[in-house]
Amino acid sequence: MFKKLLTTLPLMAALALPAAAQEFPDRALRIVHGFGPGGNADTVARIVAEEMSKGLGQPVVVESRPGAGGTVASGYVSNEDPDGYTMQLMVGGHAVAAGLYESLPYESVDGFTFISTLGQFPFIVAARSGEYESMEALIAAAAAAPGTIKIGHSGVGSTQHLTGELLDLRTDADFLHIPYKGGAAASTALMGGEVDVVIDTGTVIRPQAEAGVYDILAITSGERWPDAPDVPTVSETVAEGFDVVSWTGIGMPAGVPDEIADRIRSEVHAALAATSVNDMISSLGAQPSPSTGEEMTALIEDQISVWTDVIESAGIEKR
Amino acid sequence: MLDQFILGLSVVMQPNVLIYAFFGVFLGQLIGVLPGVGAITAISLLLPVTFYLDATTSMILLAGIYYGSQYGGSIASILLNLPGTPSSVVTCLEGYPLAQSNRAGLALFVAAFSSFLGGMVGVAVLVLAAIPMTVIALKFGAPEYAMLVIIGLLAASMIGTGSQIRSLAMVVLGIALGLVGADATTGYYRFVAMPELADGISLVSLAMGLFGVSEVIRHASRRPMRGAAPLSVSMRDVIPTRAQAKSLVFPIVRGSSIGSFFGALPGTGAAIASFMAYAIEKRFSRKPEKFGTGHLPGLAAPESANNAASQTGFIPTLTLGVPGDAVMALIIGALILNGIIPGPRLMVDQPELFWGVIASFFVGNIILLLINIPLIKLWVLLLRIPYQKLYPMILLMICVGVYSHRTSVTDVLLTLAFGILGYLMKNYRFEPAPVLLGFVLGPLLEDNFRRTMLLYGGDFTIFVTRPISAVLFVCSVILIVWALWSCLSLRRKVARTSP
Repeated sequence: MFKKLLTTLPLMAALALPAAAQEFPDRALRIVHGFGPGGNADTVARIVAEEMSKGLGQPVVVESRPGAGGTVASGYVSNEDPDGYTMQLMVGGHAVAAGLYESLPYESVDGFTFISTLGQFPFIVAARSGEYESMEALIAAAAAAPGTIKIGHSGVGSTQHLTGELLDLRTDADFLHIPYKGGAAASTALMGGEVDVVIDTGTVIRPQAEAGVYDILAITSGERWPDAPDVPTVSETVAEGFDVVSWTGIGMPAGVPDEIADRIRSEVHAALAATSVNDMISSLGAQPSPSTGEEMTALIEDQISVWTDVIESAGIEKR
Repeated sequence: MLDQFILGLSVVMQPNVLIYAFFGVFLGQLIGVLPGVGAITAISLLLPVTFYLDATTSMILLAGIYYGSQYGGSIASILLNLPGTPSSVVTCLEGYPLAQSNRAGLALFVAAFSSFLGGMVGVAVLVLAAIPMTVIALKFGAPEYAMLVIIGLLAASMIGTGSQIRSLAMVVLGIALGLVGADATTGYYRFVAMPELADGISLVSLAMGLFGVSEVIRHASRRPMRGAAPLSVSMRDVIPTRAQAKSLVFPIVRGSSIGSFFGALPGTGAAIASFMAYAIEKRFSRKPEKFGTGHLPGLAAPESANNAASQTGFIPTLTLGVPGDAVMALIIGALILNGIIPGPRLMVDQPELFWGVIASFFVGNIILLLINIPLIKLWVLLLRIPYQKLYPMILLMICVGVYSHRTSVTDVLLTLAFGILGYLMKNYRFEPAPVLLGFVLGPLLEDNFRRTMLLYGGDFTIFVTRPISAVLFVCSVILIVWALWSCLSLRRKVARTSP
């Protein structure tokens, strides 16, 4: 029985191969991500997967491989077969990890075929209502009294944390950076008066700003953000050229054949055009951002160099 | 407040909303019974469904799963020593001995009823005091949390039934296990032997291993003895006697108050509340030696505490839009998907949602009580199955539950390893509960203590110059003095009696 199986298996595989080449995809695909079930990444992956499976005519399964800020998942995906059946939902942390980790089980750029970004989002600099007139006033205060004005952030090595450190580097300010477990905890600390500033996403900041609890001082993107055209950028107020946006995107293992990568890219773009995906991404405070593989690669390369610099100059412990 | 609550009730009593409230708590109850499968798994699976529901109904559904699972969690703990959630670890301490001595029905009844009362107190606090509680919660900064955790750790050393030294050693073991993973203050990796450990050891796998798996090993290593033990499921044996009921009044009152308070503090939650309630009950009891042998007040107090906490846990979520834990974050996510941004304005802008959800807790707790009481008979019948036929299934459920939590095979293997550890511990009379408490509280203490030092430039006096922190500091000093004094007076007594 077993012998029979052994002889027939290669035969079956040989028969299956040309078919696979002709008709991609002929079986289920999967989107791997590095975060817990139920988190934002998981939800985005599920909604994108559902849309993509319509276009691909095959189920798209979401697989969560959490651990070490998403690097466990990246290591896993990077070592998978580049046959087009394994995708990864990546986040801005992928670029941060390149600078933050002593060694990674993958190459951050060369280990992947980048498909397209899904959404991009800026961070918002906020303080308790009435505390600071403007971004300029905050930076002036932080420069006048070094090490006393506190920024609460969502965890050491988070993009939020590094954005705060980057403010230190690009301006005269010298903030005290206080780690919390997640943006919600940092926001609570801002409300309670334990810290003076929080830099986080719109989902954390906006509800409080609309209720008049926080003042929004600036936004971290290089240009003003379409959703909030009245909010000045950090770049135009205190640090010219300051440009931080985080992102989510789809990547695959390096070496995926071009025609398969293109097929997946067009499906990703089609999914992004669907209302469910669009709504989800917007509700997270992001702009849907279909891109080419080259654009995504350039974005990641750029961010790796910025964050590596910030991590070194701020003296953040490597892992 | 009351007319708003009635507005809320009118929302919930609509049949199409009520059915989702029922569905939510029922599903939560089921999920809670499965060891290790938390509310978070169920909620994340149901999240897409909320696309088709309006915001109020989705919120009622998801919240129902959350507090329903707190009810369900006690069932597996009592019957099989399987704590589904960290807060039901304490339920095992008294509940499982009760079940072992053929009083499972009574234990389930007391657990369900004290859960109900605790839940109701929690709802009352939500209705009457949501805003003042929010103000107090915001006054809790890093120094206050650090002091609070110290009190918790002091209480932890009182939880054990055996020698103080042994239970203290287990607290320390728990703290050591809690150190594994990235240091929250610097991000430095501690004891990360493999990348899967970078986020620390999972609480679920520690609890499931030390309690559930070790129990399976213990039974497997013994000759089967239960067989056809005569199990009584008559209602008379299920309902507590008048005297028993009377002895439960104050434990439930204390438990509910402790739970209501801790629940409202974002990030501490039900687990600490139930541990504290148990420790305090033991401290105030006239018969502390009875704890650990199936003492009803020791079951009722933590059960009422964790359910009160799971209701007041909604205070920061509803009044500030700030999620207290991962489950709350998901529920808020569901609101965002519905186009409602939860925040301080929710109460004003969406009174029907705000009060509808709160009223649904009221209704949901009643539904839970009504479905739990008749089910007791059914659950007790489960014990008729000989254990040796049950444990392969228990092991399978544990593995599935632990895996579903973080989808990590490493977690499953660790659970089995903790099972062996738990078995050895039991053989050498070390207790698992203090390990868990140390595991939960140790990192919290470190995190808040170091944050305090960062915030206030390493100034230790901050703990006594901030009012709330100072009060907590005095409380912890009193606890230490009390412990020392009772220890000394005991020794004096021993010295006097022995020539």
